[in-house]
Amino acid sequence: MEPVLSIRGVSKMFPGVKALNNIDLTIESGEIHGIVGENGAGKSTLMKILSGVYKKDTGIIFMSGTEVDIKSPVHSQTLGISIIYQEFNLVDTLSAAENIFLGRTGEAGGRKRMNDRAGALLESIECGVDPRRRIADLSMSEKQMVEIAKALSFDSKIIIMDEPTTTLTGKETEKLFAIIRRLREKGVTILYISHKLDEIMELCDRVSVMRDGQLLGTMAATNLDRGEMIAMMVGRAMDMEYPRRESTAGDLLMQVDHLSTGKLQDISFGLRKGEILGLVGLVGSGRTELARAIFGADPVHTGTIAINGKGVRIRSPIHAIKAGVALVTENRKEQGLVLDFSVARNITMASLKKFSSAFVMQSGPEKKDVADYIDKLAIKTPSPLSKILNLSGGNQQKCVIARWLETEPLILILDEPTRGVDVGAKYEIYLIMKDIVERGGSILMISSELPEVLSMSDRVLVMRDGRISGEFDPRQTSREEIMANAIG
Amino acid sequence: MNGKIGAILRSYGLLLAMAALALVVAVIQPRFLSGDNILNIMRQLSVLGIVSLGMTIIIIGGYMDLSISGTISLVAVVVISMQQYTSAALSVVTGLVIGVVVGIVNAAVVLLVKAGNGESLILTFGMQTVLQATALLYAKGYSIKAPEGSSFRLIGQGTVGFLASPVLIFLALALILQLMMSKTRSGRSIYLTGGNKEAARLCGIPVSWYIGGMYVITGLMAAAGAIVLSSRTMSATPTMGTGYEMDAIMAVVIGGTSLKGGQGSVTKTILGVVLVGVMSNALNIIGVTPYMQSIVKGMIMIAAVWLDSKKTGGGAAFAKQSV
Repeated sequence: MEPVLSIRGVSKMFPGVKALNNIDLTIESGEIHGIVGENGAGKSTLMKILSGVYKKDTGIIFMSGTEVDIKSPVHSQTLGISIIYQEFNLVDTLSAAENIFLGRTGEAGGRKRMNDRAGALLESIECGVDPRRRIADLSMSEKQMVEIAKALSFDSKIIIMDEPTTTLTGKETEKLFAIIRRLREKGVTILYISHKLDEIMELCDRVSVMRDGQLLGTMAATNLDRGEMIAMMVGRAMDMEYPRRESTAGDLLMQVDHLSTGKLQDISFGLRKGEILGLVGLVGSGRTELARAIFGADPVHTGTIAINGKGVRIRSPIHAIKAGVALVTENRKEQGLVLDFSVARNITMASLKKFSSAFVMQSGPEKKDVADYIDKLAIKTPSPLSKILNLSGGNQQKCVIARWLETEPLILILDEPTRGVDVGAKYEIYLIMKDIVERGGSILMISSELPEVLSMSDRVLVMRDGRISGEFDPRQTSREEIMANAIG
Repeated sequence: MNGKIGAILRSYGLLLAMAALALVVAVIQPRFLSGDNILNIMRQLSVLGIVSLGMTIIIIGGYMDLSISGTISLVAVVVISMQQYTSAALSVVTGLVIGVVVGIVNAAVVLLVKAGNGESLILTFGMQTVLQATALLYAKGYSIKAPEGSSFRLIGQGTVGFLASPVLIFLALALILQLMMSKTRSGRSIYLTGGNKEAARLCGIPVSWYIGGMYVITGLMAAAGAIVLSSRTMSATPTMGTGYEMDAIMAVVIGGTSLKGGQGSVTKTILGVVLVGVMSNALNIIGVTPYMQSIVKGMIMIAAVWLDSKKTGGGAAFAKQSV
């Protein structure tokens, strides 16, 4: 049988960068095909060409043996290709049915028929959402299912999913996998892009690895070796994913007692000097709320925080920074980076007082410190004055970490420090963390990636429904035990 | 428009267009380039210049202030009328205080409502309506004349060397503000606030204070502009400020400062003010009616914002800014 998609010699250039270099890829009908690669490898660009957002410079694309010229997103949809983006493409104020048939209510046959048809599509993927409900009222997982239903409404032969599980809980991910497998049975082909290698290995029939705009190879699931995949993605063999570390934990540094906000209930815990304390829990368990409360980002809370034995009153980020607390937020694009500004300005923005005397900015010390951090943290940037927007996710994250290291904190809170960061840069960030605690700093690390938390932390706290539900020694505890505690 | 030529056109397109216009006018009416006319242009654009300095800062900070025309009207009538009872100096001080108070009120409302860029546009527009009405009430609809021979005259009509004092005041204020924005921690903080307010707040920048400061500066500059304006004619009409807010925004945008916030500079606005001033004068000199001028101004405003959005990828003034 003809492959459903055949890509031959496709290349794409952007000013100064060859995003895709002679890609040859064959996708068989009815397979779940994973695509992995670091940020900047070209996965996004390739998918955007398939979905009609970009036009290829060279090469041919065949669908089921027939050559196609994908002219636009609408055209790609009529050809049978649908793409579900990480951030979804739904109109919040409209209903699920209206989104599924966006712009096609006439074709759907009027409102009642539209709702019926939408309901049928959702049911076919075992989703019980009422098609008349507004998107704004749905959970991330439900929104995703609306997107899938939308793709099915176009009779799509190929559904591209871009990082689909970033915002899903474990259970929801399982449900998604079940849906994907059912789609495969119906003959739909899935292109699955993800950084989560475990998922790729569990779900996909075949996996293609991309690096620097090239397709390095396609492997069958049975031949998948995690280490080999990483080596291909990164371009060198990585003998370990996490740096080896001796515990450097010492005396108690920070004690939080009876911390409560709207969502948090009576949280008490301690953090030691030189310790990495991991904080895990399901989406919505209150981890980010806890981080923000300690950092004073959200002002209202009762309870006490003591650092080095002395009580501190933290009601704003200004207090927190003074007390020696720093927070790397979980969404750097919205709350962390000033995208239009340079790397240098992003790095120094939390310590302006340090670089000014009598209100006047001193460019000498500023430049020097920035250069030091770019060097120390191995930040890849053409120049300190480059716009931070142009850096890869991993390097942007390192800039944010550099910014907070500049404030010389006692305690660094990291909320999902390696989200959206490629494998190579992840390791570098782990090294940075190791260096921080070896020098006596303390880290509170919030993460949804259990392997990361278990490998990097000295202790692990589990949160559930706004409370601390358990404390574990990562060396003695399994992933399953921790998940069980998180789910309750 | 791709590549280098596109980039140049985007950055300097408006400049080139206006230079072309100036050239055409100079050919039609040689008087345009006379020394007299140039000094005239400079004098005329000083008020707009002063007011636009404040507008630059609020726009860089990511906010909007449409109330300045109301402030100008109110300060003008108060300052002129007060001189019947007290000294020029006290009147001037009162005028400036009014500007500061307006700024504080604007900031307070914006902060209380947790307004973003878009809402601040409407809020300050409401303030403008209040101020303008207050001016009309205060002056009872009449225009007011200042007492003859008052020293107040020197502000708007004096000269230092060959430079008219309004020009000097404008340039002095421009220098101070440019230095503040480019070299001080406050200036850097304002840029950061405009760039990403929430990120700035989380980095320990006291964003609320800076919002207050921005609005106070804008109010102060509006008041200063009103003082120079009313001093030139030694009189005030209660609708004297009308149109200044739009002209100021146009000057800022034409100069190259983006409505998105976090970018631009005072120096760029000086350029924008000069262009607007030259253009107004040019159109006047060749006899274009005020109505036609408004049409031209409106078209330039649209073109300027369009070019600005092309540069910054769209969604400038109403770009989503986290509260």
